[in-house]
Amino acid sequence: MRRSLLVATAAAAVLTAGAVQADEIRIGVLYPIAGTGAVYGEPAMHGHNMAVDELNAAGGILGKKIVSFARDTKLKPAAASAAAKELITKDGVNVLVGGLSSAVGLAISEVARQEGVVYVATIPKTIKLTTEKRHDHVFRTASHTDFEGDAMGQIVAKLGLKKICDIQLDYAYGHDLAAGIEKGLKRHAPGAEKVLDLRVKLGATDYNAFISQIMGAGCDGVTSGLWGSHFVNFAQQGSPFGLFNQIKYISGGEIASHEIAGKMKGDYPDNVWSNTYELWYHHHDPSHVAFQEALAERSGTKETAMWPVLAYIGVKFIAAAAEKAGSMDADALAAALKGMSIDTPVGPRTIDPETHQADTGQFWGPMVKKEGVDYRVMDPVTFIPAVIEE
Amino acid sequence: MTGRMTRPVLAACLTVLVLLALVPLLESNYLIDLFNEIMIYALFALSLNVIIGYSGNVSFGHAAYFAIGGYTMAILLTTYEWSLLPAFAASVAFSFVASGVVAYFCTRLTDIYFAMLTLAFSMLVWGVAFKWRSMTGGDDGFVGVDVPAFIAERVPFYYFSLVVIATAVAVLWVICHSAFGRALLAVRENPVRAGFVGINTRLMRWWAFVVAGTFAGIAGSLFAMVHRGMYTESAFWPESATVLIMTLLGGMYSFFGPAIGAASLFLLERLTNEYTEYWPLVLGTILLAILMFLPEGLAGLAQAVRRQILRGR
Repeated sequence: MRRSLLVATAAAAVLTAGAVQADEIRIGVLYPIAGTGAVYGEPAMHGHNMAVDELNAAGGILGKKIVSFARDTKLKPAAASAAAKELITKDGVNVLVGGLSSAVGLAISEVARQEGVVYVATIPKTIKLTTEKRHDHVFRTASHTDFEGDAMGQIVAKLGLKKICDIQLDYAYGHDLAAGIEKGLKRHAPGAEKVLDLRVKLGATDYNAFISQIMGAGCDGVTSGLWGSHFVNFAQQGSPFGLFNQIKYISGGEIASHEIAGKMKGDYPDNVWSNTYELWYHHHDPSHVAFQEALAERSGTKETAMWPVLAYIGVKFIAAAAEKAGSMDADALAAALKGMSIDTPVGPRTIDPETHQADTGQFWGPMVKKEGVDYRVMDPVTFIPAVIEE
Repeated sequence: MTGRMTRPVLAACLTVLVLLALVPLLESNYLIDLFNEIMIYALFALSLNVIIGYSGNVSFGHAAYFAIGGYTMAILLTTYEWSLLPAFAASVAFSFVASGVVAYFCTRLTDIYFAMLTLAFSMLVWGVAFKWRSMTGGDDGFVGVDVPAFIAERVPFYYFSLVVIATAVAVLWVICHSAFGRALLAVRENPVRAGFVGINTRLMRWWAFVVAGTFAGIAGSLFAMVHRGMYTESAFWPESATVLIMTLLGGMYSFFGPAIGAASLFLLERLTNEYTEYWPLVLGTILLAILMFLPEGLAGLAQAVRRQILRGR
């Protein structure tokens, strides 16, 4: 019984393991495809596939067809680590791309380090990925928590806020964003004082205890990184208490993206300043018009989401680096990515050769009501570049 | 369950051992990782069966000791830069002590109360792993375990793992088939009677719990090394449920049953994940099927089939 089971599984596994085919480029894609994270993973996959299709239509990378192998990360670092390893050892991918939460990003990066495969982080923002946990093969095309914290410091200064409550998710991104905000406040708003530090578990749905603490602390500004459904729940529970009339809410959680505004519609609270990588209605770069039209066609809606552009840029960087390196060899690819510049639908991007971090700025602004539409839009839109001035 | 291994069982064990030793010859990193994880889960499930199959109690919190072993190993190797042997010994010792303390309280109770208390303690361990961010990495997990250089490569680590697990399973077998194991079975079958013949039933159940916890700790410390990381999910209750289902699937009335259950469930999950995200649905169906049709698990099924064949002759 045991013997036959073993032999059968070994045989099955050998059959499915399949050797890497030399005539194609394999990209391992890691986004959350099911569950809570699918809201982001699904649009991200749209952007990824769009870039791959565009490249394949133009002859692929190095004349070879690109094939994507997608695995679900389930928003969990342990699952992401196992999936990344399997993509490398079983599917024989040449490069890894993706990741959503910072914890997942760090876990994938560790596998990339062990296995000597290049990993391009398209969404995770923890500063650690490109500082203390940086290695030869990890690169980031997303923004990071120090850039965001600095921008949030600028907004606090602009709004003249004095007492700040900080509410963050209790994992890498939240902790690092809190540190980034602290530095940003010191630089731009030294008069502002942080009076409350709150930590919420990733995936939490009940915010009542936190809301009453914020309202009791008497702050005039709230800084936060609550993203996606975390913010949606927080806002829906806080609004009835008048939380958003009492404070200005400044968020680095990309809640200015259209997927959140379009989803919340009339529930979207007042006094929110936030960021986004892309806005379907804002053409910062001329090439954005064509990109947005193509994406709209692919997604089946005129009002497209923000996440696709991140996944799209990740693939474009890999393609450009491979063409420059002339191979998919990890070390050659990594060398090519250092200092690499490409044009993207949201403007040119360059990866710093030292830190492996792209200069990814974001659009920031207040979310206001607009006549004729039932969702909020950012107005005015300000592009804050990825530059920290000491 | 006699004190000596019968010839066919011994032959089967040796065959499996040889086959496992030959895995690296297939030169597939994927298969090496796969079999390494299967072996780890097999040991984990076998350890749980000391509580379930031998002492007759159900633990809903066995993941706690797996996680304790794993985190201890990860932290000692990486944060404190200990070398392998002391770190390994300390992680086993710590699993022993932790399960000893928990067992002291849990073995005061039986049945559902026992099960709930094991669950409560495991959530406590999870809480510590989640909140003690500076030490465990919290929700991000402990990423990047420094595995000693001589076993850092895949193949040497696989053989290291194989030797540790084979030894651990052998020791477990001896324990379960000793006078102690038989006394445990007596406690499982009828604690009152066992008490009357002079068996200290609570002490017996305490030892069963501690043996189980310690061997789960060994499995956990290997897990931390093979993944080069340890995550809070390993201490969370679904992990305890998974290993419980592995044990039930394989068959709790057979020593090797849980190992078969672990291998089957692990492979099934891997295969299912490639085609669909509805693994929990598959898992639920399996659990339902075991409870309804296979109360003695795969091992019980195999025995029934064998009996049928023998009778047919």
